[in-house]
Amino acid sequence: MTTNPELILEVAEIHTFIGQFHILEGVSVSVPQGSITVLLGRNGAGKTTTLKSIMGLTPPRSGTITFGGRRIEGKRPFDVAKMGIGYVPEHRAIFKELSVKENLQIAERARGDLNQRADFIFELFPDLKRLYGLGGGKLSGGQQQMLAIARALVPDNRLLLIDEPSEGLAPVIIESLIQAIRRLAQNTTVLLVEQNFRMASQLADRYIIIDDGKSVKTGEMSTLIKDEATIQKYLGAA
Amino acid sequence: MEGIFAPERRSTLIAVLIIFVGLLGFSFLTTGADMAQLSITLLSGLLQGMLLFLVASGLSIIFGLMDVLNFAQGAFFMIGAYIGWEIQHAPNLMKAIPDPNLRFLVGIAGAVIVGAVLGAGLERGLLRPLYARPIFQLVATFGVSLIALEVVKLIWGTAPRSWTEDFTLSSGEFSLFGQFFSTYRLVVIVVGVLLIVGIAVLLKRTRIGITIRAGVEDSSMVEALGINVRLVFTGVFVLGCAVASFGGVIAAPFLGASNAMGAEFLLGAIAAVVLGGLGSYEGTAIASLMVGIAKAVVAKFSVQYLNQPVWESLTPMILMAAILLLRPSGLFGKE
Amino acid sequence: MQTPATSIQQKPAWRRTLDTNGVFLLWTAFLLIFPFLVGAISGTSPTGRRGESVFQQGVMIEYLTYAMLAMSYNLIFGFTGVISFGHALFFGAGGYILGGAARALGGETGVIVGVVLAIVASTGLGLLIGIVSLRLKGVYYAMFTLAVAEMFYIFFRRNPETGSEDGFGLGSSLPELLGQRIVLFYLTVILFILMFLFIRRLMFSPTGAVLLGIRENENRAKTVGYNTLRYKLFAITLAGVLATITGMLYALLNRKVGPEMFFVNFTVNPLLHTIVGGIGTFIGPILGAVGLSWLERTIRSTVLTVGESQINIGQWWAIILGVIFVAVVLIFPYGVVGTWNRAAPHIRKWISRFLPGRNAESG
Repeated sequence: MTTNPELILEVAEIHTFIGQFHILEGVSVSVPQGSITVLLGRNGAGKTTTLKSIMGLTPPRSGTITFGGRRIEGKRPFDVAKMGIGYVPEHRAIFKELSVKENLQIAERARGDLNQRADFIFELFPDLKRLYGLGGGKLSGGQQQMLAIARALVPDNRLLLIDEPSEGLAPVIIESLIQAIRRLAQNTTVLLVEQNFRMASQLADRYIIIDDGKSVKTGEMSTLIKDEATIQKYLGAA
Repeated sequence: MEGIFAPERRSTLIAVLIIFVGLLGFSFLTTGADMAQLSITLLSGLLQGMLLFLVASGLSIIFGLMDVLNFAQGAFFMIGAYIGWEIQHAPNLMKAIPDPNLRFLVGIAGAVIVGAVLGAGLERGLLRPLYARPIFQLVATFGVSLIALEVVKLIWGTAPRSWTEDFTLSSGEFSLFGQFFSTYRLVVIVVGVLLIVGIAVLLKRTRIGITIRAGVEDSSMVEALGINVRLVFTGVFVLGCAVASFGGVIAAPFLGASNAMGAEFLLGAIAAVVLGGLGSYEGTAIASLMVGIAKAVVAKFSVQYLNQPVWESLTPMILMAAILLLRPSGLFGKE
Repeated sequence: MQTPATSIQQKPAWRRTLDTNGVFLLWTAFLLIFPFLVGAISGTSPTGRRGESVFQQGVMIEYLTYAMLAMSYNLIFGFTGVISFGHALFFGAGGYILGGAARALGGETGVIVGVVLAIVASTGLGLLIGIVSLRLKGVYYAMFTLAVAEMFYIFFRRNPETGSEDGFGLGSSLPELLGQRIVLFYLTVILFILMFLFIRRLMFSPTGAVLLGIRENENRAKTVGYNTLRYKLFAITLAGVLATITGMLYALLNRKVGPEMFFVNFTVNPLLHTIVGGIGTFIGPILGAVGLSWLERTIRSTVLTVGESQINIGQWWAIILGVIFVAVVLIFPYGVVGTWNRAAPHIRKWISRFLPGRNAESG
């Protein structure tokens, strides 16, 4: 297969099983360097599993995943992460028993990562500076989401996988998240999963629609916004 | 540990306080308010509590991190005791290292190393292939504990070995309200306290500690951050086994070594872990002391009034049944 | 009764029964004639108190009790997916309650009262332990059962009123009838067959289907609307009662009870027998129990002579068992029967390739 040098991530025809269930039945995703790409699709279509397959958390049974020119399918999650992929899982999986500081510390891959990036992180999320010593479980939903994203920013990641950041958050907070993601995307490539079509359309350059375990459509976000028929067919009345 | 004085923990702390005061009061009454008797009872309770903690801490942290209940933890305690005994009493070693103090230190090192090596073997060889089948992990650790017992029987027989080779510390005594108490037992208590604090600092202050606590919550997320969690698993498992083995060797000078001690300490530790809340470190520490003191108090009472020493052995199990009925997640547990 | 003109498709009822249950009936017949078979071969009387036949009946009773214990264990471990480390609790309870009643009341009354009491008590015990620990994660049940069983072990070992470590004999308090080995033998065979049929019947019933569903995925069973706690409670209590019955047989065979009946061995053995034979299968536990018990009996009595020294391999039995255990857990987790069931279609296919004139159709 040919590797396109402009693609930082290329997922080709992966099939993933969870237990005996065939969840992904051929998903292909290409993410150009420097872009924000969004995975769209109904609940249960396989968007989260796609991210988990990239991370190696649910390793695909077949297909290939190429990141920065190197094949990563079959690698263990920590190896994948170390290559420069930050993962922000759904439901804001921060460590509730750890303080904000410790949540960020644990993401360090080299000593001093946090010190180096602290200014940038606090600029994006000023709240976190104020809450630095507080336990993660005491944060509000929006603050937890910010912490989860901040955690992925501590090491020098080249790609961020962000799973449903807007889930269950108030519109005001979603607005500030959009600003933050837009800001961080200036330095980092982002692959986003998002149910909130408004948020997705404001952020993303490109989209990939996943339906029933298969990637069915891909293109520029600007064309999708005008394509009522596709939106109706795959995303319902979004 | 910062959360230990948090408001939502207040009811738990009050419960803990009440239990301790109750135990104290009960032993005050049974000893007939005799300070000497009382202090000896409490000291021996503390001592048992510390030893239980050395088994229970591994049980609790390993369970919290890896979701594996290591039923072989008691076997490691027993093996530690036998190794320590053997090194102290083997004729060849007595010739090679005539100084009993040095021999005891060698015994400690030997027991800890054997515990660590066996722990590593168990985790790598038996548990790692079975993470997808947790019920078999339980079966595996349980099976290993029994195999270990049989191997010990084969090597050392079924008759208990008592400690005859004294060293400086183990022969010392000090007096408290006119009663004599072994200096060595006091040292064991102090070592226990140091270990409780040491492990707490490790968990709280170091990067490894942060990783372990995070892993207790969500180990796959830790891995997705770029940390090799399985390596951490092995490390914690090995540490837990080594600490249990260490407990066995430092207990050997007064408990000796016997076939039954593995099961006895495993059951006490299980009771402590359930009482404290599975996976909670501070809960395990407090509950271990509680079980130890309860055992000592009950022992004193049942010997004095019931002439039936059996109740002491039954105490941990009765405590465990009570706590499961009243508060299934234990004193400091969640859910 | 049946006319010989029945067509090939419509075999008579007895033929169909024979086809599906042939092996079962064959083994039943074997067990029923066993005392006489051994008697005929060894030229000893199957009745009475001594002789090869009577001795072999005792061995067979032991094997069958182990098999029954494994079957009862398999009901919770293999079919429901709940792990208990305290099965010995029920086994010992059966022995001690029957023994206690027999000693207190004597004769037929003692045995009957004992049996009833034991079954009632083990039902209560099973329910109690289950209610306390089954709501929680599976490990709690494992820990709690281990603790309670060990507690009983310690208690009876140190309780002078029940003979401490020695336990007490039942010889004088049992009715004359049960003193005859052959009576006990047939009693065991009947109970064994009944238990086998009962468990099979249960597992093919709707209740059994729910139990299997709990084993596969308890949350799903819950979502579908089953009160899984109640089903698990039923399974562990039933398994406890079956183990109690087995414990009573064991006490009758040995004509004594002792604290070792509560010892962890009577949990580990059924656990091991079940795993080695095949968890969640009907004949696996029986195969495992009889096979391993036979192996143990053989090895324990074997003395190897190497050069001048004699090696008593009996001592090594526990180690051998440990190796078998580890190997099975790691390599053959489905046990003998489970592995065979999985491999058989492939083997049949493979063999049929070499048989001329037959297509590669698998039966």
